[in-house]
Amino acid sequence: MSPPQQPSSTNPNSLKIRLTHRFLHNLNNLNKKRSNLDNTQIHQRYNRVKLAAYASMAHVVGSRRAWSRAILWKIRNRKVSTRHKRVDHKPTNHHHARSIKRRTTNHSNPKREYVDPNGNSGQEVKLRKLVPGVETMDACGLLDETADYIKCLATQVEVMRNLVDLFSTI
Amino acid sequence: MEKDKTFTSEGNGISQAWNPILGMGIQDSELNRNCFFNPNCEDQRDLFESALSSIVSSPVSSHPGIPIPGSADCIVLRELIGRLGSICNSSEISPHNSCYNTPLNSPPNLNLSITDHQIQGNYHPIPPAPFPTDPGFVERAARFSNFGGKNESFKAAGLGDSMEEPSVSETGTKEKSTNRRKRKVVPKGKGKETQSSTTISAKDDKVVAEVEKGESDAKRSKSNEKSTEPPKDYIHVRARRGQATDSHSLAERVRREKISERMKFLQDLVPGCNKVTGKAVMLDEIINYVQSLQRQVEFLSMKLATVNPRMDVNMEALLSKDMFRPLVSLPNNVSPFDASVQPFPYGLQSQINGMIPDGPENQISMNPLMAAMHRNSITKPPHIDGFGEASTLWENDLQSVVKMAIGQDQPQGFHGQMKVEL
Repeated sequence: MSPPQQPSSTNPNSLKIRLTHRFLHNLNNLNKKRSNLDNTQIHQRYNRVKLAAYASMAHVVGSRRAWSRAILWKIRNRKVSTRHKRVDHKPTNHHHARSIKRRTTNHSNPKREYVDPNGNSGQEVKLRKLVPGVETMDACGLLDETADYIKCLATQVEVMRNLVDLFSTI
Repeated sequence: MEKDKTFTSEGNGISQAWNPILGMGIQDSELNRNCFFNPNCEDQRDLFESALSSIVSSPVSSHPGIPIPGSADCIVLRELIGRLGSICNSSEISPHNSCYNTPLNSPPNLNLSITDHQIQGNYHPIPPAPFPTDPGFVERAARFSNFGGKNESFKAAGLGDSMEEPSVSETGTKEKSTNRRKRKVVPKGKGKETQSSTTISAKDDKVVAEVEKGESDAKRSKSNEKSTEPPKDYIHVRARRGQATDSHSLAERVRREKISERMKFLQDLVPGCNKVTGKAVMLDEIINYVQSLQRQVEFLSMKLATVNPRMDVNMEALLSKDMFRPLVSLPNNVSPFDASVQPFPYGLQSQINGMIPDGPENQISMNPLMAAMHRNSITKPPHIDGFGEASTLWENDLQSVVKMAIGQDQPQGFHGQMKVEL
C-alpha cells in the first residue's frame, strides 16, 4: 500500500507525493484525536496543523537526516510531556546538543554580529537556530542539512498550498 | 597520447628510478617486492607504461588504446605502490614523513564525491588492487615515472601551465594558482630531478596523490626550498602553487572547498541566488529563505486550520486505499448518490457528507482530493458514477475538476445528503 519509503528523495515528484499523503494522514490523525469545535479553537488547530506539517515532513524523510531526527524527537518528547513529566528519552547526542545550545546562548549582545568561541559568525548561528538538529554539526554538515531541509520545506509548502487551494475552492 | 609519450620517454627513467627507490627507506616487505619486480621492470616496461598511463593520466579519462594491464607484474606493481601508499596512510609517520592523517578520512570516497575524479574512471577497467589509496598509488606512479626527469617529457605531458613551471621561477609565485585536474607529474618530477636521491625516500612515504581538486602543484617550489616534501593530509589534496602547504592549511583548504561546493548546491536550491557571490551574502540569502519557508508553513497551516475545519477520515481512507494505485479504482468510491451498499466507499461518502458542513461540496471533495493526490502521478480518467461528465474528463488541473463536479451536483440536488451531519 504505502510506497517503498526509500525512493530517491531527490525526486521531487516522489517526495511531493509522499509528503502529501503523509501530511494528510497526520492531519486526519490530529483532527480525529481531539474534538475540535469549528471556530473556537482556531489557534489550537493551527498549532496542530503546523505540527502535523513538520511531523509529516520529518516522517517522510525518516531518520536519514539530522533535522528530521531532531523534529521527530521533539515531537515524541512533546507528546510524552503532555502525558506526564518529561522523561529523558533523549538520544545522547541530542542531549549534548541541548547543553551546548544552552551554553552558547548569548544574552549580552543579541543583535550585534556575534562570533562564537568557535569562530562561527552570527549567520551560522542563525542558521543553526533555524534548522533543527544541526547544533553540533560542522559547517559542512550544516550546509548539507540546510540544503535538504530547504528542499523538504519547499515541497511541504507546495503541498500545503495545493491543499489550501483544494479546500478553499470547495 | 601525450601521456603515452610521457611514459615512453620516461620508461628509462622508470627503471632507473626504481633502484634508488628501492635503496631508500622502504620497508623490507616493499624491498622484497621491489626486488622481485625490478628484474621484470625493464622487460615489462611497456606494460608498465601503459599501466601507468592508463591509470595515472587523469584528464584523459579514456584510454581505449591502452591495453589494460592484466599481467601479474602490473598487479604487483600496483600492489607495491599501494603498499607504499598504505604505509604512508597507515599513520606510520616515518621520521622524514610528516603526512598527517586529518580527520577528513575516506579519501577514495571523497575523491569520488568531490570531483569527477578521472582516476576513478580509469581505475574501473583495472582489477582493483587491494591498496587503500588509489590516489596514492597514482601519485606514486606518477612520480616514479618522472624520476628520469626529462624536460621534454614535461612538455609532452601536455599539462599546459604546469610545464611552464620549470621555466617560470620556481619560487612560490601565485600566478599559477589555477586549479588543474591534470596529473601534476611534471612539476613534481622536475623538483625531483634535482633531489631525486634524497627526496625519494621522503616522498615515498608521503601520500601525495593525484589531486582530487585538481589544484596545481606548489610542491615544486617548496621542494626547491626544502628537501622534504610538505606533508599532505589524508585527503590527498595538492597544494596550489604559491600557497602554504602545511597540513593545517591543506586541511583548511579542503574544508573550505567542501563548504564552497555545498554553497554552490545551495545556490541552486535557493531561488534568485545565482548572481550572489560570497559566502556571507549567500548565507544571508539562505537564512532568509529558510525563514520565509517556515513562515509560509505557518501561514498555510493557519489557513488550513480555518479553511478546513474537519478533514476527517475520508482522506485517510482514500489515501490508504488508493495512494499509489492508479486512479481507476477510485471512481467506484466516489459515488455520492449511490445508495447501494458499497461498503467502503459509501461509508466514505457518508462521512464526507457528514463532515463538511457545506452541502454540495462534499462530493466534490473527493474529486479535488483525488486530483490533488494524483496531481503528480498518473492521471487516468475516472468514471465516477455520480458525476457523469466529471467522470469522463479527468484533468490534472484541480480547479477544472472541482468546477465540473460542482456543476454536476447542483442539478441533482442533494438527496444524497441524507446523512448530512454538521
